[in-house]
Amino acid sequence: MSNAHLIQKPRPETADVLVIGAGASGSVAVRELVQQGFSVVCLEQGDWTPATEFTGDKPEWELSRQKQWHPNPNVRQNPSDYSVNTDDSDVNPLMFNAVGGSTILYAAHWCRALPSDFQVRTQDGVADDWPFSYEDLLPFYQEIERDMAVSGLAGNTAYPDGGGYPLPPLPIGKYGHKAASGMDKLGWHWWPGNNSIASKAVGHRAQCLRYGACLTGCPAGAKASTDLTHWPYALELGAHLVTGARVSEVTVNAEGLATGANYVDREGNEQHQKAKVVVLAGNGIGTPRLLLLSKSSAHPDGLANSSGLVGKRLMMHPYAAVVGTYEDELESWLGPAGQSIESMEFYETDASRGFVRGAKWNVMPTGGPLGMRAGYGGRPIEESFGVNFHRNVKTVLGKSFEWGIIAEDLPDENNQIVLDSINVDSDGIPIPELHYKSSENTSRLIDFHVDRAVEAHEAAGATTISVTKLMRDCGWHLLGTARMGDDSSTSVVDQFGRAHDCPNLYVIDGSVFVTSSGVNPTATIMANALRSMRHLAETHTDQKTAN
Amino acid sequence: MLNPVQIETYSALANELIPAAEGMPSASEADVPTTWINTALGYRPDLVEAFLRSIDSCRGEVPARALENLNANDTEAFDALGVLTSGAYFLNPGVKELLGYPGQLPVPAHDDTETYLEILERVVDRGPIYRASVST
Repeated sequence: MSNAHLIQKPRPETADVLVIGAGASGSVAVRELVQQGFSVVCLEQGDWTPATEFTGDKPEWELSRQKQWHPNPNVRQNPSDYSVNTDDSDVNPLMFNAVGGSTILYAAHWCRALPSDFQVRTQDGVADDWPFSYEDLLPFYQEIERDMAVSGLAGNTAYPDGGGYPLPPLPIGKYGHKAASGMDKLGWHWWPGNNSIASKAVGHRAQCLRYGACLTGCPAGAKASTDLTHWPYALELGAHLVTGARVSEVTVNAEGLATGANYVDREGNEQHQKAKVVVLAGNGIGTPRLLLLSKSSAHPDGLANSSGLVGKRLMMHPYAAVVGTYEDELESWLGPAGQSIESMEFYETDASRGFVRGAKWNVMPTGGPLGMRAGYGGRPIEESFGVNFHRNVKTVLGKSFEWGIIAEDLPDENNQIVLDSINVDSDGIPIPELHYKSSENTSRLIDFHVDRAVEAHEAAGATTISVTKLMRDCGWHLLGTARMGDDSSTSVVDQFGRAHDCPNLYVIDGSVFVTSSGVNPTATIMANALRSMRHLAETHTDQKTAN
Repeated sequence: MLNPVQIETYSALANELIPAAEGMPSASEADVPTTWINTALGYRPDLVEAFLRSIDSCRGEVPARALENLNANDTEAFDALGVLTSGAYFLNPGVKELLGYPGQLPVPAHDDTETYLEILERVVDRGPIYRASVST
């Protein structure tokens, strides 16, 4: 979108607040703080992505989703992307650098975490509790749900009563009905999915037109990406957005307080933005990368890293897919994608299963005929081509759907992000290096859930069922790498995201998660960001700064 | 654009990958080598080099054997050939029509809650399934 009509005040030499990253959490921060009268500058390494650029309504959609609109930056290789070294990772991280961040490409499943997700130590005896409760976060969930105009149906028995949603639910479609019929036979929980996709036109967003292309950007402008839900308002209120700005370091003074950030602009020039307070919103990989890059005499192991936990406890939600095919015509190329229905039947811990914690299930459509077909090489040709080319397409196209399983993975300090000692991005900045292995608990969890999802398909009448126990390209949810907590020796930031070691530095993205929950985290990321930034605004008179 | 020699080689490979069968046309019958592959290459310029390499390496060979060799020795080129040929085939409107696939067309969302309320009530009747917060 163009904001050329806006006449901005000159960018302040020293901003009240500098926000790094214009995605889900950064957008919340900028809008909240500028509403409260702060001067706010936001540095974003990506750019705007107008809906006309998305290919979901164009013939090239299925070919372009495997490259130009692929969620893996190592595949996409846009100028605004940085590569991620994944040589030692079971899972590839998925993200997008843009105004709106990864909400441009996310599936828009809108899920609150559950009360037990905030009390994993207390209720299940593992990992740690969050420093606040579900009830503490509930009003912020509700406020963000209004901002995002979430479509959903109240009364889900998997949740405490948390009020309704701004818009009616999206259609669950023929494949949703088919999935629900199986769950009904088994007596298992299901509910129409909440989605941050507009079932009716609202604000800067159009009504959903059911393109099955949510994961490559919504061509209708119906999905709640924050370039539509937050930035137009923030810019009108005077926020300063600098796109094409890749931050290389948060700068500090001799006392170790943040003074601003160095960044490389689109022309390759090094720049500096001064600020009284710095807020990091670069996601669970970008934020620890930046903290580790920001070494100084005051912070020799990286900024805010006296605990040694910056970059550690990475959680990415291993994802299993169980696809069933049916004799019925299910129109499963229709969107949104999006979750049609969800199930929380096996979400809560049951010790008799041999593992702790659980997973949310979601029904998603299976797209067009090309699908994500790639990587044929090395497999027997007759599997995918010849007569089987036609048989496979006719069997699956429009007659299949996926039960996706979002497995909670518990924090493990061996799963971490460090700086690559050799490889750099296009601006010469070291890229992040991932070390991530799925745990034994997660493996048992996935085995159990996959077996149940197979039963769900069988109950619904599936003729064939295929299982992918761990999708490599599934790392949408980048969590835990700058965890919050009350103890500065075992956490990086406090419950409001303020760094223990640097009181004018905040972290507000998924990095702060203590545990990962087993649901899509965007709702929690945005609600937590709002809670943090409102606290910053309310306590700013006591805010220590470098100036 | 492929030259005539490349088209000849590619046509044989494409028809081996996508033969006429199951009521569907072959790649050549669907104009893949002459029309749709060029469109597909335009959408995926990153694959052009590997695609052309696949054709060059198979020129003059028996298609089935050439594809087996390519698959075994140059998976990147085989992938490019497979993805582009499949993608080009599905670009043909006639192919989509035969499959009953309309493509991604706008279909305004409608509220279909009424169609499933009866079975959803059974979920409600079973009661809450979450664990509440506990005092710490």
